[in-house]
Amino acid sequence: MKIETAAVVGAGVMGAGIAAHLANAGVPVLLLDIVPEGTQDRNALAAGAVAKMLKTDPAPFMTRRAAKLVTPGNLEDDLDKLANVDWIVEVIIEDLALKHDLYKRIEAVRKKGSVVSSNTSTLPLAKLVEGQSARFAEDFLITHFFNPPRYMRLLEIIAGDKTRPEALDTLRDFADRRLGKGVVLCHDTPGFVANRIGSFWMQSAINEARDLGLTVEEADAVMGRPIGVPKTGVFGLLDLVGLDLIPKVDASLAANLTPDDAYQALRRPWPLFEKMIKDGYTGRKGKGGFYRLNTDGGQRVKEAIDLDSGAYAPAGKAALESLDASKSGGLKALVAHPDKGGRYAWNVLSQTLAYAASLVPEIVERVPDVDRALQFGYAWKYGPFELIDRLGAADFAERLEAEGREVPALLAKAAEAGGFYRVHEARRQYLGTDGTYTDVPREDGVLLLADVKLAGEPLARNGSASLWDIGDQVACLEFHTKLNTVDPDTVAMVEKTVRTVSGGDFKALVIYNEASHFSAGANLGLALFAANVGMWPMIEGMVEGGQKALRSLKHAPFPVVAAPSGLALGGGCEFLLNSDAVQAHAESYIGLVEAGVGLVPGWGGCTELLARLAADPRRPRGPMPPVATAFETIGMAKVAKSAFEGKEMGFLKETDDITFNRERLLADAKARALELAEDYQAPEPLELTLPGPSGKTALDFAVRDLLAKGVATPHDETVAGALAEVLSGGPAADMTEPVAEKDLLALERAAFMRLVKTAPTLARMEHTVETGKPLRN
Amino acid sequence: MVTYAAPLEDIRFLLNELLDYDGTVAGLPGYEEASADIVEAVLEEGAKFCENELLPLNRSGDEEGCIFENGVVRTPTGFKEAYKAFAEGGWTGLACDPAYGGQGLPKTLQFILEELICSTNLSFGMYPGLSHGAYNALVLHGSDEQKTTYLPKLTDGTWAGTMCLTEPHSGTDLGLIRTKAEPNGNGAYKITGTKIFISAGEHDLTENIVHLVLAKLPGAPPGSRGISLFIVPKFQVKADGGLGPRNGVACGSIEHKMGIKASSTCVLNFDEAEGTLVGEPHKGMRYMFTMMNVARLAVGIQGLGLAETAYQSAAAYAKERLQGRALTGPKNPDKPADPIIVHPDVRRNLLTMRAYNEGARALALWCGMAVDVAEKHPEPETRQEADDLVALLTPIIKAFFTDYGFEATNLGVQVYGGHGYIREHGMEQLVRDARIAQLYEGANGIQALDLVGRKMGQNMGRLLRRFFHPVQAFVDEQQGEPRMAEFVMPLFKVLGRLQQATLHLAQQGLKDPEEAGAAASDYLRLFALTALAFMWARMARVAVDGLEGERAAFYRSKLATARFFMTRLLPQSSGHFAAIMAGKAAIMELEEAAF
Repeated sequence: MKIETAAVVGAGVMGAGIAAHLANAGVPVLLLDIVPEGTQDRNALAAGAVAKMLKTDPAPFMTRRAAKLVTPGNLEDDLDKLANVDWIVEVIIEDLALKHDLYKRIEAVRKKGSVVSSNTSTLPLAKLVEGQSARFAEDFLITHFFNPPRYMRLLEIIAGDKTRPEALDTLRDFADRRLGKGVVLCHDTPGFVANRIGSFWMQSAINEARDLGLTVEEADAVMGRPIGVPKTGVFGLLDLVGLDLIPKVDASLAANLTPDDAYQALRRPWPLFEKMIKDGYTGRKGKGGFYRLNTDGGQRVKEAIDLDSGAYAPAGKAALESLDASKSGGLKALVAHPDKGGRYAWNVLSQTLAYAASLVPEIVERVPDVDRALQFGYAWKYGPFELIDRLGAADFAERLEAEGREVPALLAKAAEAGGFYRVHEARRQYLGTDGTYTDVPREDGVLLLADVKLAGEPLARNGSASLWDIGDQVACLEFHTKLNTVDPDTVAMVEKTVRTVSGGDFKALVIYNEASHFSAGANLGLALFAANVGMWPMIEGMVEGGQKALRSLKHAPFPVVAAPSGLALGGGCEFLLNSDAVQAHAESYIGLVEAGVGLVPGWGGCTELLARLAADPRRPRGPMPPVATAFETIGMAKVAKSAFEGKEMGFLKETDDITFNRERLLADAKARALELAEDYQAPEPLELTLPGPSGKTALDFAVRDLLAKGVATPHDETVAGALAEVLSGGPAADMTEPVAEKDLLALERAAFMRLVKTAPTLARMEHTVETGKPLRN
Repeated sequence: MVTYAAPLEDIRFLLNELLDYDGTVAGLPGYEEASADIVEAVLEEGAKFCENELLPLNRSGDEEGCIFENGVVRTPTGFKEAYKAFAEGGWTGLACDPAYGGQGLPKTLQFILEELICSTNLSFGMYPGLSHGAYNALVLHGSDEQKTTYLPKLTDGTWAGTMCLTEPHSGTDLGLIRTKAEPNGNGAYKITGTKIFISAGEHDLTENIVHLVLAKLPGAPPGSRGISLFIVPKFQVKADGGLGPRNGVACGSIEHKMGIKASSTCVLNFDEAEGTLVGEPHKGMRYMFTMMNVARLAVGIQGLGLAETAYQSAAAYAKERLQGRALTGPKNPDKPADPIIVHPDVRRNLLTMRAYNEGARALALWCGMAVDVAEKHPEPETRQEADDLVALLTPIIKAFFTDYGFEATNLGVQVYGGHGYIREHGMEQLVRDARIAQLYEGANGIQALDLVGRKMGQNMGRLLRRFFHPVQAFVDEQQGEPRMAEFVMPLFKVLGRLQQATLHLAQQGLKDPEEAGAAASDYLRLFALTALAFMWARMARVAVDGLEGERAAFYRSKLATARFFMTRLLPQSSGHFAAIMAGKAAIMELEEAAF
């Protein structure tokens, strides 16, 4: 059985988001909700949800075209259409009676072998199937998505005793490959895994902040970055998810957990919290929460609440010695520090981590599942057991003991064995509940560079990049700078890569890394610094060196597949453009954004985008259309917000593939590279027919118009002029004489150098390096 | 006795021919009246005061020193009268705001005047210098009430000021200070603690002393983020502005020092002294830094001032002192011996002093004018650019000027031979006086760290742009000028080295701060030499056009000195460059126990 079509019942934020993500995966979805009273459109709820999602940022849809795969409907007129779908997801309110009733209606129409799941976060599966038919129970699961479904990687799946193994396998495989989710199979226990531990952590973090007298800013500064938690910490996170959600989750946990569960002891009333919800201070979606933006007096001032008085005051920066200590000494130094920040970190972590250790195997079979759940569901850098290992399992247990606290059995085993994880014979292993180590499991078709690294040394390495042998005669070029910006060392490694792969026993190359971002572009800071000290020859050398390196990749005697995930901007994008093929993670953000910093792409970005646009048979022919499109795309520094948009904008070819599951990206790219390696022929140097000065004039007119309208700034005009000069093929080009690749690259260089010497470009570069944002000057 | 006449001709040259003072500073709002003519006229008066009033007190002040008795400090004979004349002459308020009774003249002028004062009597200069520092801090950060209470008195010189930072266990690291400030309930604070090394902390020149004191409020954040700034007057000030009772601050003792003996350096004990908070709590370090930056430039000028006196004295002596014969045969056959100036090595000593002095003065004025532009220019971008340049040059001027100032005063002694070692000639005093400038206001090692650790990386090197781009542009512009080749080529080369060293340090320093720390002092010196090479090349550019005119002799001297700088001093840059590129290894290798 395969899942080709789906239906989502319930068009609230979660239901609609799940439908959108199914559509992202190319699955036609029926989105149903009740018929609202007093409207003409009986599908208003579902249709409205789709319309709203098209305006939501970050976008639930990966491309506007995906929205067309969602068919809005209602539960009265369209129930019978459920007979056509393979998977029905129920995402209605958490009301057992309503759900039971709905399930009966679904059961009456759905086809044989289809799967039904609930997105409940609070109701046990056992109760959901109570009173349902045996067939229903066999085909039923819980699929617990996290908000927003497109972006949060965790999917908790809970199967009941009666659930058919095939139904589980089908859904699990679909969620993994097609939706790209990190699936964690949980037991049917309250809150499942992520929220069980996450709620405990939040409650503990709130209590301890109040007891120790930390400010909101201090608590978040401690509970965020130093621990590997997003910088929202705990109070910022509450604002993000909505304060009003918390009492519901809390009530459900309290009702379903046993009275002796450690969570029960953490619960205590907090009048300020209740008052905030009552007054509409429910977080970012409301009037504000623990933080708010005060716009009185025309200025945007970030304010934080006083946890005692409830009064807001301008948010300050936390200054704690423990925070300073953690900068050099890490997590250990933080929890060892005697100040209130150190005590806070220790109290919250020790409670939470010990709690987590007490829950395996009750809530989930294996230690790594807990870690994955918190990483994918709460965006923690390290899961609870990895955190314990970072603190030292033995030290952690010892301190608990010294404080007269209980040491969970599993923790005691880890303390004894030397941690929850180890590397054994080049494989990562975890500690089982029996006290022995087992390999961390990998699904079929998952290849991780992290695992390759455990097995051996790189073929080559410098401070910015490494070259790995990933088997089957395929090499992998990995960047490893901050944000994977490209610097002279990266470029040197590219050159070395071309020599190594050509000369060695390799068939193909994949460019890939496992950081959050493929590459944010050239190292702007370095270029700016060199410009500030007036080292123009060095900058020109960086431009030329990058061009050379990328050209040598492009024309190398082996195929190159780039496999981006996250940002692939500027120089990072130019790596994609100079590759034979791209295997893109669906969550790839691709663009030539140089204009934002007052420059033009200088590593073949202009040239290659032009070539791709000109070669695309679905686009208009003639010399001008590709130039105009590239001018708009580069000139406005447009960024594709998914791999699909990357295709629409011409950064990716129609033949390029997209992978949804981050962990499958490398294997897919490698397979693609091997495919290309058969009978591989390197591309010939490009020749492009370009309009020349007449084309430039047309582009200049367009810019002057924008300037007159006040849309463009004077420096935008300068940058656009330089870009137009490049894209139109330079002063010597005309439609009868094609322009050679090397001449276009020379134009890119010249335009780049002209711009980088201007004060407004330097101001833009500086602003972007300092703030990460563009400067409009 | 030393020989000194204010270098007014050189100053005129810099203002009018090199740096376009009229086009840069005299055009700024508020300075419309302060044309170069006016500035020069004021300076001539200032020069007279320094030469006639301050210089004669320099030696006697050194011999007599300050005297501490019964909690009171007595300045040397004549200081009180000189100070009175100084204040009455309006010199204390030269660059102060007319709103507080100042003359509202540019900082540039103040800068130049400071050189003259330091040349003639550094110890004396400390008193009004500290007052002006206090003025600067209050004018920027004080409340309206504080300003109206204190600024007119600081401007007219009836009150003096101090900066109270250092404590026995807290010098360079001010985060360690222990002086406490407790709110006393009426909006003021009770300050308790001990400050040391407080220049002008107690004296008999003024009726009151306004101490600016760093202290910690209860519950303040740790380290330098928890320091606040307070005004603590020696005598409390009544609502009508008159003097009230004595405040709880007393001088415990004064230091016995190597030099600047006529400047009183005090231990100040604060015992629940009443003070008022300046600005916001915990921002004291920031406020103090605005004051310290100005003060650092002023200390740099001290090096220049002393070196100028050393040069003038040594040059005069070398022309008079007859001893031996020139290596190529007698130059002065009628006399028993030739003047020692015939000797290459004596000339080398003299030219070293001279080339540093004139180059440094040009750099100081470039920076001084930028201080005015940063403050007064109508365009925010231009202000920012100027402010960047000042921030960049401040550690260089402070450290390099005081380092070479000490070297140059030593060379002065050398030219005098054994007589230089004898107190009555005044040359050894210059050495002793110069030594402190390398230490206070942030020791020179700290300045070097400021340069590589803060200024270099600030805004990804934006501060550097304000220096490197003009130099690069000048080199590009002059490349086709054959008369300039002998000046531009060395500048071009040293610029390349500095660029390379800068990038190297920026990259190395990111990976390992010790790399930056190990190279910092050499880097600062390399930077300073490049900056002086730039100034010398620019001065040469003016001079090559003037060789036919009536001031040909002046320009010939400039060119000769420029050649000396380029060929005999600038080559030191190679050594510094090599040392920078050698990295930290040899500095960090030796184990602590082996020292």
